[in-house]
Amino acid sequence: MRKDLVSSAILLCIAALYYVAATGIPSSTLEDEVGPRGLPAVLAALLAMVAIAIGVRALVSAPAAAGPAKEAEAHWPRALGMLAIGALYIPVANILGYWLALVLLLLAVAVYEGMKPSWRMFAVAGGGATFFWLLFDVVLGVRQPEGLLF
Amino acid sequence: MDQLTHALTMLVTTPLVPAAIGGLIWGILGGALPGLSASITMALLLPFTYTLAPMPAIVMLGTCYIGAEYGGSIPAILIRTPGTNAAAATVLDGYEMNRQGRAGEALGISLWSGVVGGLFGLAMLVMLTEPLSRLALLFRPTTYFGLGILGLSVIASLSGKSLLKGVAAALLGLMVSTIGTDPISGVSRFTFGTPDLLDGIEPLFVMVGLYALTELMTRTGVVSSIMKPNASIRVRLPRPRMMKKIARSQAIGCTVGTLEGLMPGAGGTIASFIAYNEAKRWSKHPEEFGHGAEEGVAGPETANNAVASTALIPLLSFGIPGSNSAAVLLGGLLIHGLLPGPRLFEQNADVVTGLYTGSFIADIAQVLVGSLILPLCIWLVNRPRPYLAGFIYALILSGVYTVHMSLFDVGIVLTAGLLGYFMRYFGYPFLPAVLGVVLGNLVESNYRRSLVLSGGDLGIFLEDPIAVGFLVLAVLIVIASLANELRTARARKASVA
Repeated sequence: MRKDLVSSAILLCIAALYYVAATGIPSSTLEDEVGPRGLPAVLAALLAMVAIAIGVRALVSAPAAAGPAKEAEAHWPRALGMLAIGALYIPVANILGYWLALVLLLLAVAVYEGMKPSWRMFAVAGGGATFFWLLFDVVLGVRQPEGLLF
Repeated sequence: MDQLTHALTMLVTTPLVPAAIGGLIWGILGGALPGLSASITMALLLPFTYTLAPMPAIVMLGTCYIGAEYGGSIPAILIRTPGTNAAAATVLDGYEMNRQGRAGEALGISLWSGVVGGLFGLAMLVMLTEPLSRLALLFRPTTYFGLGILGLSVIASLSGKSLLKGVAAALLGLMVSTIGTDPISGVSRFTFGTPDLLDGIEPLFVMVGLYALTELMTRTGVVSSIMKPNASIRVRLPRPRMMKKIARSQAIGCTVGTLEGLMPGAGGTIASFIAYNEAKRWSKHPEEFGHGAEEGVAGPETANNAVASTALIPLLSFGIPGSNSAAVLLGGLLIHGLLPGPRLFEQNADVVTGLYTGSFIADIAQVLVGSLILPLCIWLVNRPRPYLAGFIYALILSGVYTVHMSLFDVGIVLTAGLLGYFMRYFGYPFLPAVLGVVLGNLVESNYRRSLVLSGGDLGIFLEDPIAVGFLVLAVLIVIASLANELRTARARKASVA
């Protein structure tokens, strides 16, 4: 129930922000009857209504019976940490280039997943980055990001 | 006859065979890894296909789906952990057979049933898709609008436990589809001055973020309770006597798989459980089910492999993806500029013929490839999770970059992953969001084009009988789902009282 209430509030915020952004869509002489703001306004209103309905339902409905046991999942700070590793890859690839950024990514994920650093881990990261570089740059002919330094 | 000659010519003049085998191997490996569903396996492959010509790209994705359905049964039988959701029913008797020292036999039955189900599903796909797609030749903007609404109404049956949450997810997807240049007036919407957003957001990025990245985030740091499979197991294909014994179960699997594949939202998981149940009901020895019955492996495996082909019928005919995997394949079609429907059969006949031929090759080659690749699957399942997670992450980031050679796209995928994580955390389904992203432009542009044609008269939608049919069907689907939701809520209330 609490999760539904929180998600309802988040959806309401998204609807409001989306609506505000939609009002900033410029006008055009080529506009039809609906216009470029038509659908976004409808979507914002619908999302707000659905969000309210989810919130109301969470308040009035009976608590759900315990369902089958769910598989273990990471807590949100830990999950966001994994995402942050990917986000860091972008500036690192811009500066150090693809191969080195990938080595660091593979090392970071392995350490984040609880592995202790070892020569084997470095070898796997280096080998993995080389494998991906060969696959994309050489075999598929798609240039991966070049860094400022390498 | 011409089609057959053409297909045979393609075998030697195009990279069809390597694409089919490559997709099949990828699919089996991905399906064998617990946690990677068929759709995630396909989503990981999607960016690779961007660099290929349309035909081998679509063949790879189609055969990957076939491979993943078999691959899912490997850990289901060996370590009691289904590699894909559709293989969950296989655990019941497959793992029991393994415990009795018959793992090789169970894997062989799964493989053989996959071939039977796959070939049957393919025959249905070839027979039904083109005639259905011809209906789309009569389509006007009003009809496309009706079709889009029908596609969106499917959300009702894809919303899992809560229709409201499904609708909210679909609205979020529709919102994403409005980013970029307006289809009628040409003004930019929600781009915030960023040129990278002018062309909108590729559905591919949303799919990779939602399916693959979210899975990676959700599983991080989770101690795996997965057993280590024995590396010495070998596949044992069924002998004629066993083939006869499981034939009835396979026939049930074929029928259930075809019907479920045609119905949007049903998918391989439901098909395999229904097939298991029916196989037990029609079996001469129902008491053996749950205790290592061969028919208990054959039924579900035939059904989910049949679905891998028949789920493509509504997709190729009308562009409506009825499952996560079909949605990823639609993403593959769209990034190559291919639109499902009759024009696909006229203008890109090579792609369709290639997909059929490639699927046929993959279904047959499954027997050999599935046997040969088993040691590699077992090796892969036994790898330390930290390395696997790192390689999957690297694959996502590298693959996404190849689409436009832009790190901005990597940022979009990470954002989609963040959205997906919270959707999962709060219990919102992914597929409605994907449908919203894919169908949003179709619905909006055709609605507005219709009104431009009619001078703003909404009556134009009632003048198109096919559009009216689609809209009525959409309303019926939503009403049925609402009734179902109400029934569930009442039952819950009664059980609490």
